Parts: sequence; structure tokens; C-alpha cells
Amino acid sequence: MCANHTEITPNPSHFEDSEEASQAPAHRDIAWNDYKDLIQGMRFFDPHIHMVSRTTDDYQAMNQAGIVALIEPAFWVGQPRTGLSTFKDYYSSLVGWERFRSSQFGIKHYCTMGLNSREANNEPLAEQVMEILPLYIYKEGVVGVGEIGFDDQTPAEEKYYRLQLELAKEAKLPVQIHTPHRDKKKGTERSMAIALEHGIDPSWVIVDHNNEETVKSVLDQGFWAAFTIYPFTKMGNERMVKVVEQYGPERIMINSAADWGISDPLAIPKTAALMKMRGISDETIRLVTYQNAIDAFGKSGQIDVTDFESGYAVDQTEKFHGNSILRGGQQPAPVKDFLVIN
Amino acid sequence: MSDIIKQKIWEIIASNTSASEAGWLQQKRSSTPIELMTAFVAAPRFLPKKIIHTTDAEKAALNLEIPGFSVDGWSLVRLSRVWLLTQLDPSDKEGYTKNIETLFDTAEMNELVALYSALPLLSYPDQWLFRATDAVRSNMGFVFDAIALHNPYPEKYFSELAWNQLVLKTIFNDKPIHFIEGLENRSNEKLAVTLSDFAHERWAAGRSVPAQVWRLTGKYLNTALLADMQHLFDSEKEEDRQAAALACGEATLPAANYLLAKYTDLEKSVKSGALTWADLEH
Repeated sequence: MCANHTEITPNPSHFEDSEEASQAPAHRDIAWNDYKDLIQGMRFFDPHIHMVSRTTDDYQAMNQAGIVALIEPAFWVGQPRTGLSTFKDYYSSLVGWERFRSSQFGIKHYCTMGLNSREANNEPLAEQVMEILPLYIYKEGVVGVGEIGFDDQTPAEEKYYRLQLELAKEAKLPVQIHTPHRDKKKGTERSMAIALEHGIDPSWVIVDHNNEETVKSVLDQGFWAAFTIYPFTKMGNERMVKVVEQYGPERIMINSAADWGISDPLAIPKTAALMKMRGISDETIRLVTYQNAIDAFGKSGQIDVTDFESGYAVDQTEKFHGNSILRGGQQPAPVKDFLVIN
Repeated sequence: MSDIIKQKIWEIIASNTSASEAGWLQQKRSSTPIELMTAFVAAPRFLPKKIIHTTDAEKAALNLEIPGFSVDGWSLVRLSRVWLLTQLDPSDKEGYTKNIETLFDTAEMNELVALYSALPLLSYPDQWLFRATDAVRSNMGFVFDAIALHNPYPEKYFSELAWNQLVLKTIFNDKPIHFIEGLENRSNEKLAVTLSDFAHERWAAGRSVPAQVWRLTGKYLNTALLADMQHLFDSEKEEDRQAAALACGEATLPAANYLLAKYTDLEKSVKSGALTWADLEH
């Protein structure tokens, strides 16, 4: 649940010409040919993206742009779920089909598991979901409990947020917190206070969807601050560059949270290119677009960088299953460049 | 299931784990079903990523217990998960099948691979037939491989319809059919005829089929298939011509023998045994 298009801010979705702008742009879109050289050789890790809502074109473009691994948090898929089975199938798809699909495009797929805040308000169902969640959080490649936290900030949301914090503690997993769109500042403070109240080490908590108003307090209290480059409702990449200039790279990470809304699975490479254009150092770019996410979610013990650091070859996975000569279904092929389809 | 196979598997695990890793597994052996199932899920958190290579003696020992069963090239986690499944007490059929069904229902990709790999070892083999045919329907390559390749379960329990679907899908996915256990044993006329249709579709699309798939047709050559053999003899690819010669060499149909006789060099290689299907296996 990342977009809320009822709340479109006046920020332009793209910026046409900076010289002619009367005020600083919040976000600009960049064409692949204009930035591919800037990010040449860079690797990216997107710690928040909802691939179930994305297409194969996105996977191919992400792979081409240097995204080698990603985390898919369990979220609200748009259509409210009416029964436990659809939750179960959704969770299974995050560790099953979607993980496989991603592997076919050379991208290592991790996920976080949780009951999202919006659906925590359906209490009879939420109760049942809490019973099956423990079956999923111990699974291979589950790097945290998430995305959890507040949406409307109701008592039910608080109840299931607290229960899931306990679950994360028990399973020794990081927590990925979704902060609300409305009343964000208070919601963020409240989320952090409750996590601390449950005795959770802030270095195990990633507070997501930050902006200029929330970041200082999040960092001051020792939490990780994640920023979602999502035009209209969250951060623009021009704004992001300024945040990195002001706060430096420590405990800051960037994600796309791309989902079923108007979002961009290439938000990270584009923001990296923009940072490069603005003269931010390669090391800082590496930290906020790759390494910090690995350090934070790696506390789960589930991230082995050798799986993807030198590019995540499809063959590698297959070797892991001992069938190195086999092909696992379709292969990624850059069909875009060909007129003729064989 | 015999205790011998459990023991053999354990010996392979023991020679590939540290004392503490083996200890963790042994401690789960005598625990409750729920703990065993949790250990099945959590195994990658306690065991290293490692590929198992078995010795010839180990291979022979496994094959003696369950013909066609092998663990070579498996990950340690996969092997350990299969071993944990063999430790579930099967005496209460209802409880036993319910537990395994739960593992299937909530499984991630690698867990599915382990579950399907374990099918030849589980009790109540008929109980898993639907699951097994469902794995053939899977589009997750690794899951499909776990049931289709190097797994003796389908040969033993699949209906002809399910078997043919498995073989055709293996060909369709461009995977090597010689890794299917029981390929020779379960060959049948329907499969041979369907294969011909499949090849025609591929040819129409300007694509090809791997030469070794024609090993499924020799015994069942009829007039239609014989036309396919002629097509293969006319192929630019040497392996296609070799496949046609091998298939015709296995045929009882006299017309197939006459056709082969036209290609004297190939006929000689087939008859002398210098050329076999193994030459086309890749």
C-alpha cells in the first residue's frame, strides 16, 4: 500500500528544463540513453518493490540497469482479501512463483512477510492471518517482518503492529515499517516509540517512506531511514539528492516501492544517476543504493552477497540445485530490440 | 520404506556436515512432528550452502534400495530436508498425510523441490499422485525438474496420460529427456504419435526438436512416422540423420528397414553399435 492517488501533491512528475524552472524541481524523469553511461558498472539493491504488480518488461529493464537483488515486502494488493486462503497464496507466491520469476531475469529476490496495516482493520481475518504468519517468517530468503505499521492509525492497526513486532523479536528478524500517508509525522514518531517500547534495537528497524520532515528524528533515534522515490505521493529524486547532500549516506537507503500505482521500478538507478550528476561521490551512492540495505536486512542472516554481487547469473541458481546444464523454463531475452519474434 | 535407505542417506549427510550441523539434525529426529516440520522449513538457517557429490559406492547403494533414486548434485539442505521427511512417523496415516499436505501447501520453491524429491521415499505413495502431476504443471523450472528428472516416482505411479504429459513437457521445455527415469520402460505408441505432431508444429515454426527425442518412436514407427524419418534423413544436421537411423534400426516395420538400408554408412554404424542414443544425449 504505497500509493494514494487521492493525495496528489503539486510536485510535477517530471521536469522539462531546469534552466527555465522558476523553482527547484522535486522530481525529474530521465531517459535511459541520457543516464546509462552515468551508472555504468554500478550495482543496485532495491529494498522495497512489489513485483507481483509489475511486468516482465520491468524485470528486463531492471536487470539491464544494474539491479541485482530486491526485497518484496508483503503488502495490500489493491483488492481487499476476503479469506485466509488468498493471504496464504499471496505469501506463498512471494517465496515461490515470484521468486522464480525474478530468478529468470537474473535478479535475486528476497521478501519481508507481514500483515499490512490496512488489512489489519479486518480483525476476524487478521486474527487468522496471525496464526499462519509464523509458518512463513522462518522461510529461506525472508529478510524481515514487513511492511507493517500504521495507515489510518486505528486501535486494530496498533494491536497487530505490536503483535508483529513481538514476532520479529522472536524470529530475530529486522522490521520494515510503513509510515502513513496522512498525519505522517505523528504516525512515524508513534511507530518508532512503540518499537522501542517493545525493546527492539532501532538498528534492526527500517523506517520507510521518509521525507524531509521525518528523517532527522528517525536518524537521531538510531533507526534506518528509507526513502521511496515515488512521484506524486512520496519523494522525488531531486529532493532525494538534497537529503543525501544534507545528511550523508549513513543509515539512509533508497527504494522504489514500485507497485500497481504510477511508480518507477528504475527509481534507484535514475536517482543514482542524478546524484552522480550533482557530484555526490560514488561511495555515497553505493551506500544509499546498495550496501546500506544489505547491512540492514542482512541482519536476518538470509542475505548471502555471493549470490548476486558479481551479477546474479541464472546458471548460479541452477548449479545450486545441482542441475547446471538445465534451463529453468524461459530465459530472459531482450526481445525489445528485435522486430522479428521467433 | 526401508530403514536401510534412511541410514544410507544419513551416512551421506554425516560425511558432508560438521558435528554441530549433524547434531542439530539428529536432535530433530526424535522430536514432535511440528518440530520436524519447522526444522524442514528452517534448515537453511542451520546448514551451509553446499552441493553433495556422491561416490560410486554410495550411488550403487541408493540405487539398490530404490532403483533410479539418486542424490548426486543435490544441495545439502535438500538432502537434509528429504531425510527429515523420512523421520516423520507414518503409523497414523491421517496425521502423517495431513502434515505432509501442510508442508506442500505452504512451501516455498526450494521446499517444493525437496518435497518432490522425497516422493519415492514417502509412505502411502498413491496419496501423492495429484501433487506429483501438479508439479508437472508447474512453470517453476526447479519444481518441474524435481519431479521429472532423476526421480523414479513417475515411472512407478503415473498413468499413461500423466506420463506422456511429463515427457512432452520435458521436451517442450528443452530439457534433456534421458534424465527421465524409466523413459525406455514407459514408452508407448500414443506418445510416439503425439511426438510426431509436436515435431511438425516446431518444424512449421522454423524450429527444431532435439535429435534424441526420436528414441521414443522406434518401436512404434508407422507410415506417418516413417515420413518423419525421411524428413530427418534429409536434414542438414548430422544428429537428425543419426536419430533417424537409430529409430529405424529399432523398428519392426519392414519399410523402416528398407529406408535405413538406403543410408549404408549410417546403417553400418547402427548395426555395429558404433552409434547409440547415448551419442545424442545432451
